[in-house]
Amino acid sequence: MTRKMTFGALGVKAVMLIIAAALLFAPFLFQDVRSIEVAARICIFIVLVASYDLLIGYTGIVSFAHTMFFGFGAYGAAIALKEMGPGWNAVLLGGVLGMLVSLVIAAAIGLVSLRVKAIFFAMITLAAASVVLVLASQLSQFTGGEDGITYKVPDLFKPATKLLVDDAGKVVKLFGVSLNGKIAAYYFVFLSTLVLFLLLLRITVSPLGTVLEAIRENDVRAEAIGYRVVAYRTFVFCLSAAVASLVGTVYAVWLKYTGPETALSFDIMIDILLMVVIGGMGTMWGAVVGAVLLVLAQYYLRDLMGAAAEVVSSVPLLPELLNPDRWLFWLGLIFILLVYFFPKGIVGTLMTKGARG
Amino acid sequence: MTKTSLATRDLTIRFGGHVAVNKVTCDFHPGELTVIVGPNGAGKTTYFNLISGQLTATSGRVLKDGMDLTRMAPSARARHGLGRAFQLTNLFPQLTVLENIRLAVQARAGLGWRILRPVGRYKAMTEKAEHYLEATRLTGLAHQTAALLPHGDQRKLEVALLMAMEPDIYMFDEPTAGMSLDHAPDVLDLIAEIKKDPSKTVLLVEHKMDVVRKLADRIIVLHNGELLADGKPDEVMESQIVRDVYLGTATEETA
Repeated sequence: MTRKMTFGALGVKAVMLIIAAALLFAPFLFQDVRSIEVAARICIFIVLVASYDLLIGYTGIVSFAHTMFFGFGAYGAAIALKEMGPGWNAVLLGGVLGMLVSLVIAAAIGLVSLRVKAIFFAMITLAAASVVLVLASQLSQFTGGEDGITYKVPDLFKPATKLLVDDAGKVVKLFGVSLNGKIAAYYFVFLSTLVLFLLLLRITVSPLGTVLEAIRENDVRAEAIGYRVVAYRTFVFCLSAAVASLVGTVYAVWLKYTGPETALSFDIMIDILLMVVIGGMGTMWGAVVGAVLLVLAQYYLRDLMGAAAEVVSSVPLLPELLNPDRWLFWLGLIFILLVYFFPKGIVGTLMTKGARG
Repeated sequence: MTKTSLATRDLTIRFGGHVAVNKVTCDFHPGELTVIVGPNGAGKTTYFNLISGQLTATSGRVLKDGMDLTRMAPSARARHGLGRAFQLTNLFPQLTVLENIRLAVQARAGLGWRILRPVGRYKAMTEKAEHYLEATRLTGLAHQTAALLPHGDQRKLEVALLMAMEPDIYMFDEPTAGMSLDHAPDVLDLIAEIKKDPSKTVLLVEHKMDVVRKLADRIIVLHNGELLADGKPDEVMESQIVRDVYLGTATEETA
């Protein structure tokens, strides 16, 4: 009973397979430290953006507190790992506590303010996120303040850990890659984000997912045919907060460091918003495309521009324009062009391409 | 026809100094189609909004089968069997016709909180939605986006949504508003169909007098928020007071 597959939709499916394969084999395909950082960050942001899209794209709720929940999960794990020492207990306890804090605060914000106007709700989330950001930098005895917290993670993820050893007791290499703790850490990130993403994907096609779309489309009518809109909105706000919190915990374990810059700042919130807009709202695949493109641009646009400046070094003016220091200018320009040519986001626009009737 | 399914008791709403609906007490019965008439601004839609819960009464009560609904949210009233269609088309515009109807079926079945199985696997729900598509003669349009339908079909979909809720009380607010003469009968036939079921109570706000004559078992007249007349169609249409405020002004306008 689905709508007919369009060429655009087929293209999107193909791109998804390529991205999934690239992320699955990332440690073997791109064998340098930076690439693995990028791949892990992409995994994290796919889930972070997908959980945010569940709010803004599927249900039509505008929140600015998504990084706050991400931060609760990250700081939960960070503080637990710092206080209890490296171990799975600490990860589990910190992650669960962070998620509980997220759930309680999300439920409180939701019940108090989701019945009022959307703009008011957005302001409340902005205020809550600002307060938490200030608290995180002020309560430095717990959070490490502006410096953040550095800690050790479970032994499994230490670079010195040998996942498989040969007869001589040396770490086994596969396609020239040592199967050490770094690989384990990457696959921990990959698998946990994959599970969370599939869970979100499943929810969007469930009966509940259709109710969320109905609320976005026409909340008065959704209420009139018998759906308790406030309850659904609060539930989805809590759900997306819980997912953001969990992925925050995963990120904290991966980075071995948690600070305002990596887990709480409004820069992350803006990144999430950009990714949602670039990929396309109201489609989980949009989250994937948005996260991949923006993270890649953040890491590689400067290199690309440096190379381009080299190539055109004999031409006047151009090398100046392409100076890597101006990468933000080009990123902004690309963003404007994307929004112009793909008003519904890349995936949102492509999905309708080739459709008839 | 002594049983009362829906009743309002001194139902009143005030907006600042303006009393939009003023102490309206009225009983509605199963198997009866009541048409609510009155000039523009008489409070017909406001009265509907008070019954279905989009507005909450300042004072007075709304009762269904003796249960007090006055303070309930619209969704709770819907779950208690109160179904409402809207004057201005009020659909889920970017969803398909089938998806629109399925949402109403799903609400009726109480499956909205199911989270893990894809909605397509709920075969019974889709079949039921298709049944209502057929009943409203929209079958060929199942996969059309609601927003792209012609106005007449949107009105039909509006009725289909209401039917799919399978309520005890059907409330139609000018179901043929803005429809061409060729299409209006389709919607009226649907309402006549619903009326045949003796367990259903139907309330209808309507201006077109031919529609009123054809369908009404009973007419109530609202004027300035007050219940002015209540009775059999012929009696009400003939009564002097109604002619003065309603039909009277209408003739003056045309004259």
